Amino acid sequence: MRELELYYGPQHLGMVGNFSITLKVQGDRIVKADANPGYLHRGFEKLMELRTWMQNFPLVCRINVVEPDHIELVYAMGVERLAGIEVPERAKFIRSIYCELARVASHLFGLWAYANMLGFDTAAQWAMYHRDLLLDLFEELTGARVYHIYIRPGGVRRDFPRGFEQKIVSTLHAIGGKVPDYNSLFFENRLFKKRAKGVGTLTREEAMNMGGVGHTLKATGMKYDIRKIEPYAAYDRVDWDVPVYTGGDAWSRLLAIRDEMIESVHMIFKLLDTMPAKGSVCTKTPNPFKWNIPAGEAYVRCESSRGELGLYIVSDGGDKPYRVHFRTPSYSHGLTILEHALQGENIADVGNIMISLYVVAPEIDR
Amino acid sequence: MTHPMVKNLKSMFKPIAVKQQDERRIMLNVPKDSLMSVLIFLKNSGYAHLGLISCVDRIADNKFELVYIVSAYVEEDVDDSMKATFVVSTFVSRKDPRFITCIPVFINAEPYERELHELYGIVFEGHPRLTPLLLEREYPIPPMRKDFDSRAYVEEVFDTVPFVDQEDDS
Repeated sequence: MRELELYYGPQHLGMVGNFSITLKVQGDRIVKADANPGYLHRGFEKLMELRTWMQNFPLVCRINVVEPDHIELVYAMGVERLAGIEVPERAKFIRSIYCELARVASHLFGLWAYANMLGFDTAAQWAMYHRDLLLDLFEELTGARVYHIYIRPGGVRRDFPRGFEQKIVSTLHAIGGKVPDYNSLFFENRLFKKRAKGVGTLTREEAMNMGGVGHTLKATGMKYDIRKIEPYAAYDRVDWDVPVYTGGDAWSRLLAIRDEMIESVHMIFKLLDTMPAKGSVCTKTPNPFKWNIPAGEAYVRCESSRGELGLYIVSDGGDKPYRVHFRTPSYSHGLTILEHALQGENIADVGNIMISLYVVAPEIDR
Repeated sequence: MTHPMVKNLKSMFKPIAVKQQDERRIMLNVPKDSLMSVLIFLKNSGYAHLGLISCVDRIADNKFELVYIVSAYVEEDVDDSMKATFVVSTFVSRKDPRFITCIPVFINAEPYERELHELYGIVFEGHPRLTPLLLEREYPIPPMRKDFDSRAYVEEVFDTVPFVDQEDDS
């Protein structure tokens, strides 16, 4: 059969974000896929070398549009490690709660993208609405809806406003109460099962060889979670579990995401119960315009909603970073794994596989 | 406490500089020739997750520092020594930056090496496609190098673009 070249994206209904794939197809089957990133390359890592340590925060949060909070966190952790700053106890809990809220918001956004791509418009709109409720919380806490710039080296920018804990609880109850509805509308829907089961299957060995992290590994039964193996913030203070599935396909990945969301909500309740009622939320740091950080290098990592997020940061003793390099989870997922997983699949399943791998284009390009 | 792997590495690969930041972070600096064998040794010891390949332009020493970050795929209940992360670095000359690819060891090195080739101009021998990954246009020197002056480049290239005249509606 004749081999054709087909451009999928950057403008395509099944494509979220500015990213494209060049497919070689025979009939309906994909023979070879070439991922083509770069539409969102803004050169942040170069720009960050020209700005002071604190001036970089408005840049780092724009690396992942959907979920800026974990990138802020990992950058703050890198600076803290280089400068040897300790974070107060209450700030650790606030960071954990804030990052779990961000994880739920990001998963809801991912659910919107996935459901929308499959044509489940109602479930998609619900997910977008519930994410909006969380954005209201972020707006009250930080003053911004999307790019919060809330975490800073030494802690967080401000304490919870009065009565904020109750607002978190009532918002999460409102979202959690809808889980049975989501299940009957989407997750247990026969159409969803038919579209997602057995699609884009990865074995555990394949996923590990190609640098898979996060829910890609969790869908193959591996409890690989940085919050567990290298606890940061306050994740070691409460008891929680890593939900896993064993199928390795798009269906397992989506269910792993759903269960992680539910687990995050439970974790936030536990964190709110155990967090210290009073205390400082930020260690005092030097004047940001005259802040020279001792020379050295550091690698820090945290678990974003897409998986292991790392930062390699080098200081030469000056007031600006010498080199910053983010290890973003979408990089391996969107380039190595996606190209492999698409081989032999249907054209109609490209968006299905890509969104189930949770590829976010700005994270790849940086 | 010294990590158990440090002793093995020191005895197997002689001229190796080890700096242990804490129990979880071990910085290794190895000669160019033994880097691949160190990576293979780490992989066979269970540290099979290549997190990142990065590069630092040490322009003062006229060298590039290639950085490989290797850790293990583990679950919570394993021994703590398996939860360590190794930051393995080596120097390549800045004049003719060449190195061998590590795709045979770690498959996911492919896009990282492609990116470093584009942004730093390092040639990875044996890499199947060193084609552009992120950038739109050609640059006089690879843009992430320290001697690439972003400001001068922007002024030179974009000042020549004429402003678009706004039509006056009134």
